[in-house]
Amino acid sequence: MTILPHRPARIAAAAALALAIAILIGLVLWSIFSAATDQASGAGRVDIPHLLRMTSIQAGLTTVISLTVGMALAWALNRLRFPGRDLVVGLFASAIVTPGMVVAFGLLSIWGRSGWINQASNALFGTSIGNPAFGLPGILFAHVILDGAFAARIMLARLDAIPQPRLKTGQSLALSAWQRFAIIDWPALRGTLPGLGAIIFLLAFTSFPIVLLLGGGPANQTLEVAIYAAVRQDFDLRAAVLLALTQIGVCSVVILIASALAPIPTSLGPSTTPSWRDGIAARLLQAVVLILCTIAFVLPLASVLVNGMLVGFGRLLAQPAFWWAALSSLIIGASSALLTLVLAITLAMGRGATANGVIRTILGMPAFAYLAVPAVVLSLGFFLLVRNLGVAPALAAPYVVILGNSLLALPFAMATLGPPFEAIARTRGKLIRSLDLSGWRQFIAVEYPLLGKDIGVMLALAFCFSLGDLGVIALFGTQDFQTLPLLMFRALGAYRGSDAAAIASILLIGTIIAFVGLPKLFERIANAAR
Amino acid sequence: MVKSTSVALAVLAGLFAAPAFAQDAPNLNIYTYDSFAADWGPGPALKTGFEAICGCTVTFVAADSSIGALRRVQLEGATSEADLIVGLDTAIAGEARDTGLFAEHNFYFDELTLPYGWTDKNFVPFDYAHFAFVYDTDKVANPPKSFEELIAMPDDFKIVIQDPRSATPGLGLVLWIKAAYGDRSPEIWAGLKPHILTVTREWSESYNLFLEGEADMALSYTTSPAYHIVEEDDDTIKAALFEEGHFAQTEVAGVLKSSKHQELAFQFLDYLTSAGAQQIIPTTNWMFPVVDLGGELNPAFGRLPQPEKTLTLPEAGIEANSATWIDEMLKAIQ
Repeated sequence: MTILPHRPARIAAAAALALAIAILIGLVLWSIFSAATDQASGAGRVDIPHLLRMTSIQAGLTTVISLTVGMALAWALNRLRFPGRDLVVGLFASAIVTPGMVVAFGLLSIWGRSGWINQASNALFGTSIGNPAFGLPGILFAHVILDGAFAARIMLARLDAIPQPRLKTGQSLALSAWQRFAIIDWPALRGTLPGLGAIIFLLAFTSFPIVLLLGGGPANQTLEVAIYAAVRQDFDLRAAVLLALTQIGVCSVVILIASALAPIPTSLGPSTTPSWRDGIAARLLQAVVLILCTIAFVLPLASVLVNGMLVGFGRLLAQPAFWWAALSSLIIGASSALLTLVLAITLAMGRGATANGVIRTILGMPAFAYLAVPAVVLSLGFFLLVRNLGVAPALAAPYVVILGNSLLALPFAMATLGPPFEAIARTRGKLIRSLDLSGWRQFIAVEYPLLGKDIGVMLALAFCFSLGDLGVIALFGTQDFQTLPLLMFRALGAYRGSDAAAIASILLIGTIIAFVGLPKLFERIANAAR
Repeated sequence: MVKSTSVALAVLAGLFAAPAFAQDAPNLNIYTYDSFAADWGPGPALKTGFEAICGCTVTFVAADSSIGALRRVQLEGATSEADLIVGLDTAIAGEARDTGLFAEHNFYFDELTLPYGWTDKNFVPFDYAHFAFVYDTDKVANPPKSFEELIAMPDDFKIVIQDPRSATPGLGLVLWIKAAYGDRSPEIWAGLKPHILTVTREWSESYNLFLEGEADMALSYTTSPAYHIVEEDDDTIKAALFEEGHFAQTEVAGVLKSSKHQELAFQFLDYLTSAGAQQIIPTTNWMFPVVDLGGELNPAFGRLPQPEKTLTLPEAGIEANSATWIDEMLKAIQ
């Protein structure tokens, strides 16, 4: 029986927040539903069971492959030390926050018909490997680049935090590489699986542009496409709400399973440099995993950097619009990241303070459910909400973006911060009780110092996520309000591919800097406080 | 922390607040799509040009797409601040007209150079181009000259097209094939299926797949080559002309009944179709003007080959059947 500190205030705060998010989702859907006029429903045209089946298969495969690859990669990265390791870790982490379109085009410039591999193969052997990047394999590949690398980053944080004494004991017992994974690593990783799995499933389930770009046609489509058509093409708002509810319902099953699973204590503490090396066979395997993942994951991103630097860089930097967009992106990103941090800590504290599975599930559900609301439904719902409140959409836009992006980043932040918060409550609960620490002292003296690096990872995630996804204000009429990703898509839509490539590479550089720098910075700050 | 956050938010509010308008000059609110209002689009020059003659302020309110702008007006109904919408296309004009939100104009269209007659009571055209597949002359020596020839190409000859539910050219292709082949359309789509590399959400994704060399042809416009000639001095991108004829996209503008500045709005339409404004369109929106500019038309546009035949479909037919035709297309290439 684990003893948790008695923290009713934390549970109450988390409950209030969860309720607020649930109400927001409800309001978004309700405002669309009430704006619907009587029209012929186009929903009958959509083969929902077929779409659900296709989407579930795709999302399920994405989840399983991403978690497996992520675990193998985290394992390899945790063991191996080599020059440029920090950069590689940063690159892996940055995939998930890079706009999906950029990753997909990066993938094609490596694996596509005119990609690097085909060019090399043509030059060397006079034959090509064809075009493996389209169809279901292409979708899975792109999704695994995005999600598998993210999973690896989160799992690596858990492995890096395994305390030194534990490793020393293991080493003195001469555990084999396999025993070491099973006895020491696996318990530290298990806790991350439900949260990660749910997020990856949701991302893959609601994926839209990648699925269309690489899917090769309507055979591989998702429900999200049908919802988009209902909102935009058919303007059948009732059908849109029903389809959105269907999507939320299906995703909720996955979320329920994930959040109902009992929490598993994970490892905590500052990262350590291991002195314990696995045997030669295991190290070979680790090197192979790392090299394969680098080729598969890092090359597409590297090609984005290279393509962006080649042309258009100077022309881009000379545009005032670029600098305004960069400034907006920075402000939006920083504000969203701070808001996400507050929200995530509130929810994670509340969930960590109770052992009751039902309460934990209720506290976690809304944040994940928000991720299942289709983007086109959010943009319409937020527009109607703001209008119903009597606010001019263009004035409300920045605040809506910050809120919308924070909520979008929240599940990722919870997957990052949740497991360590739970672990502290469980492993140090007795100590905290016996010292009779207040909730505030618990945070300052116990949690914050142990969480510094995780907070850094989370801030980097939320910041990069929020640099400028403006999907939620698509209808707000804000052409003066540009962010870098928006500028990129606008350039792409106006034949200006080289501008778009340059922006993509700048975004990627910023993201890598954030992922390499912020975790280190916060680990240092948090530990200095002690 | 609290302090710095509030400072950041204050900066935000200042950055994004709408510019203050002069008290007495009326303000004309124009809803449009974002690349029309973008720095490199026609918006800024049209604003300057019209403000010089109207004694008013022009404000563009850009949604992510023209259909987004229409949906916004529909949602706002009579309370909309929009005076006019610029950038709807002919495939959705019927549906837009049926909303009853648009006022009738009294323009005469005898000077238009559109490839087909124009009699619309609500909407005024301001640019057009035919849908076409573009190719790179360095890579494709003998482009197909018809849908039939395209179907007969080897299977590794790939095209990229757009989803008719999310991109206007995607819908345009559905209408194009319907206008050319009528009841044979499903057969044509089935024939195209092995050549379709993928069906993207937006035009930009298809076009970039094509530029990256992933596909041999992309569904675009007869005017696309002009961009590469004017901006990149590159004349290797060409539009393949099909013997069946081509369907055209005509972009239109309409004044809203709810507008408080209807007279001014119609004055803007007058300006939009004048030679001065039309001269701005080709090299900013990359479409043909709707009036004869003579020697003022950018030579890159003057040299572009034009289809011999323009295909059309009756507006009522498009409105009643486009959903069915889209389904037909999706089933045929499933």
